[in-house]
Amino acid sequence: MLSVAFHTMGLLCSRHQHHDEAEIEENTQAAEIERRIEQESKAEKHIQKLLLLGAGESGKSTLFKQARLRPIKLLFQTGFDEAELRSYISVIHANVYQTIKILHDGSKELAQNEADSSKYVLSLENKDIGEKLSDIGGRLDYPRLTKELAQEIETLWNDAAIQETYSRGNELQIPDSAHYFMENLQRLSDMNYVPTKEDVLYARVRTTGVVEIQFSPVGENKKSGEVYRLFDVGGQRNERRKWIHLFEGVSAVIFCAAISEYDQMLFEDENKNRMLETRELFEWVLKQPCFEKTSFMLFLNKFDIFEEKVLKVPLNVCEWFKDYQPVSSGKQEIEHAYEFVKKKFEEVYFQCTAPTRVDRVFKIYRTTALDQKVVKKTFKLVDETLRRRNLFEAGLL
Amino acid sequence: MGSCAVDGGCPSDYVAVAISSVSMILLLTRFLLPFLIHKVPHVKGSGFWLPAIQVLASFNLLVSIVVSLKVLKFERRHWWQSCYVWGAWIEGPLGFGLLVSCRIAQAYQLYYIFVKRRLPPIRTFVFLPLILLPWIAAATLIHTRRPLNFRCHMKTLWIIPVVCLHALYVLPLVGYTAAIRHIEFRFHEVKDLWWGILVAAASVAIWVAACILNEIHEDIAWLQVISRFVLLTMTSVFVLIFFSISSSQPLLSQISLRKREPQENVTMGRALGIPDSGLLLERGPNPLVDPNDPLDKLLENKRFRQSFMAFADSCLAGENVHFYEEVHELGKIPLDDSIKRIYMTRYIIQKYIVAGAPMEVNISHRTRQEILCTTDLTHPNLFEDAVHELLQLMTMNLAKDYWSSTFFMKFKEEISMRQDGQELEHLTGQNFSPRPSSVEISDDPFRPEHSLKKPSFDSHDP
Repeated sequence: MLSVAFHTMGLLCSRHQHHDEAEIEENTQAAEIERRIEQESKAEKHIQKLLLLGAGESGKSTLFKQARLRPIKLLFQTGFDEAELRSYISVIHANVYQTIKILHDGSKELAQNEADSSKYVLSLENKDIGEKLSDIGGRLDYPRLTKELAQEIETLWNDAAIQETYSRGNELQIPDSAHYFMENLQRLSDMNYVPTKEDVLYARVRTTGVVEIQFSPVGENKKSGEVYRLFDVGGQRNERRKWIHLFEGVSAVIFCAAISEYDQMLFEDENKNRMLETRELFEWVLKQPCFEKTSFMLFLNKFDIFEEKVLKVPLNVCEWFKDYQPVSSGKQEIEHAYEFVKKKFEEVYFQCTAPTRVDRVFKIYRTTALDQKVVKKTFKLVDETLRRRNLFEAGLL
Repeated sequence: MGSCAVDGGCPSDYVAVAISSVSMILLLTRFLLPFLIHKVPHVKGSGFWLPAIQVLASFNLLVSIVVSLKVLKFERRHWWQSCYVWGAWIEGPLGFGLLVSCRIAQAYQLYYIFVKRRLPPIRTFVFLPLILLPWIAAATLIHTRRPLNFRCHMKTLWIIPVVCLHALYVLPLVGYTAAIRHIEFRFHEVKDLWWGILVAAASVAIWVAACILNEIHEDIAWLQVISRFVLLTMTSVFVLIFFSISSSQPLLSQISLRKREPQENVTMGRALGIPDSGLLLERGPNPLVDPNDPLDKLLENKRFRQSFMAFADSCLAGENVHFYEEVHELGKIPLDDSIKRIYMTRYIIQKYIVAGAPMEVNISHRTRQEILCTTDLTHPNLFEDAVHELLQLMTMNLAKDYWSSTFFMKFKEEISMRQDGQELEHLTGQNFSPRPSSVEISDDPFRPEHSLKKPSFDSHDP
């Protein structure tokens, strides 16, 4: 009965307008729903719906991959066996080609537009290689990464002009995994290369549409029978209009914000700063009427890149952080900067949360989605929080 | 008869008001018909707002005439009933001026797209206020100088510039229409624009005559009454005809006028007469789909494309495949038929490329800007970069999940059924794809006609 009530609330919550004929629909739907609920309650599963939301390239899909890599009982899907790992070879090779193409084309553009253009001009012997690799990168069907090609790419990568271009990477759309793949080219081009789990996590693919897995966390007390449905979505602007379909009956939203992106521009709009976009998106998500009782887990992601960057590029290049004052240097400075960013997000949360909603759960976690240990620990914490909340709601705590 | 000529309220006046009310109702019905009856969803952009503003302007014009000429009998007590508000402001910048400016904006759009073959450089919502500025200036001038007498009639000296302003605005309309007259539009745009000009010019002429008579012979009662009647009736007819002609978004009116045809089949491709595409091998060897082939080669096969499209739609990524298909249809239009190409290109841009479009695709900033700022809408490779990016996206993201989905299994079964006695691997019925391909969403934006379907997939949440 409770489920029916929840479903009705969900229908009310839905954004789409119902016309008269929709009511007839609803009656047939209601009958169908009743049947489904009976089926589900027989299985006695307590299903929790988790959404991974965030702007583009914030780390949602990486976390999603982590969930599939963990030794947990996956329902209806297979985890990462060797076949699946092998299927990432084409993606990784594609990443390599695309990265080197972006760097090469970027260096050409900077050589044209910058005053100090000489440092972006490729050395003479690498020009041909550059053109060839740029051409390959522009194709749809990439050739297999052979040792020769890997050698050429490495040569180009070590060219001074390319390194200069890379240092200005925040103005181009260079993926974060560029450095990692370029350093590992020899291994990637091996004949019998099988990607490691780390390679798979670094592989970058824009998500389009919605992806879902169901899993049951294997914890100390196995009797829990909890099942999580985790949804991963695309983060670019055009993908966000699809999010609304997922908003009903959500237990928790995991909002990913890449804190290292404060000096980068969006993939889909190179005039907008990524951090500002994340802030606006966070505000929008918080204000959704469907999320009144939903727990929010804010993952401040890409901490490893943040650590390196914050010592070189001051936080106040981003308009949101313009009142930041650096106090020291080294590790202390990193911690100080991180606390500043965290406080900013907390401010946004409390600004956008109505007094009636203030009792919903809100937690902030510092993560690096690529680090398997960190993510494992974080998921455990999330699991605990949600379970505690459920017990609280059921009146047992 | 004497007093009602001065104060308003003659029987002819009531008849005129009745006529104008009828025309307003018809106008509203004509405007709202596509949206209410046929549930056309696109309520964004200038295709909706320009006609809406026109309806508003027509309403303002009619009411301003009723009030300023004292057609109905009422006392002028409040400041907002004064002559200046109605006769100057609402009749000018918010009435006639707005009406003709909307048409000019539409003609300007058509001119840029079909003659200059690029998207208009100034957005409509900037262009419209810009051309309304002279009207606003004129209204301010009249307001400050106060040349109207107590009966809301203008001094003779002022009539001439006002008439000039009215006539002046019909001229750009003539100009733009003349520039596009040689283009063979598919949906009678030029004919409609000429009609619009004719009606506007005729109405201006009649209005001028009535106004002059009204003002010059203020003492002749029957002239007053008749001229008021004629003015109001003409204006009502004028706004109705002016609006009935199609706006620059022809598909909308096409859909609304073709009531008997089912909604689903109206795509731009069909409306333009592009034949269906793709291999549909009914007989002969049907090559088994090889996952190792590049995706663009596989998508040429129509059946595969349909299966893949259904899969993509089910996981809310359908716009990629639809875009690919429509660009493919664009490619089938011969290069010399530039009008058709422009229609299709513009349709694709509005549906897939513009920020906030209903089926916006996931492309980079640079690619989007190149398309939107192109100087040649008929260029054959306009969408090449976008298609390339999306094929890469589909290959790396969607295709991997497709091979392990139920859609592919069904597709394989279909093929095997057509091939007698050919062994195929027996596939288990389980769906290993991480895509929620088995869920149905009740308000699927990609398939509005299938909205009468299964309930939303999270119905069983506790």
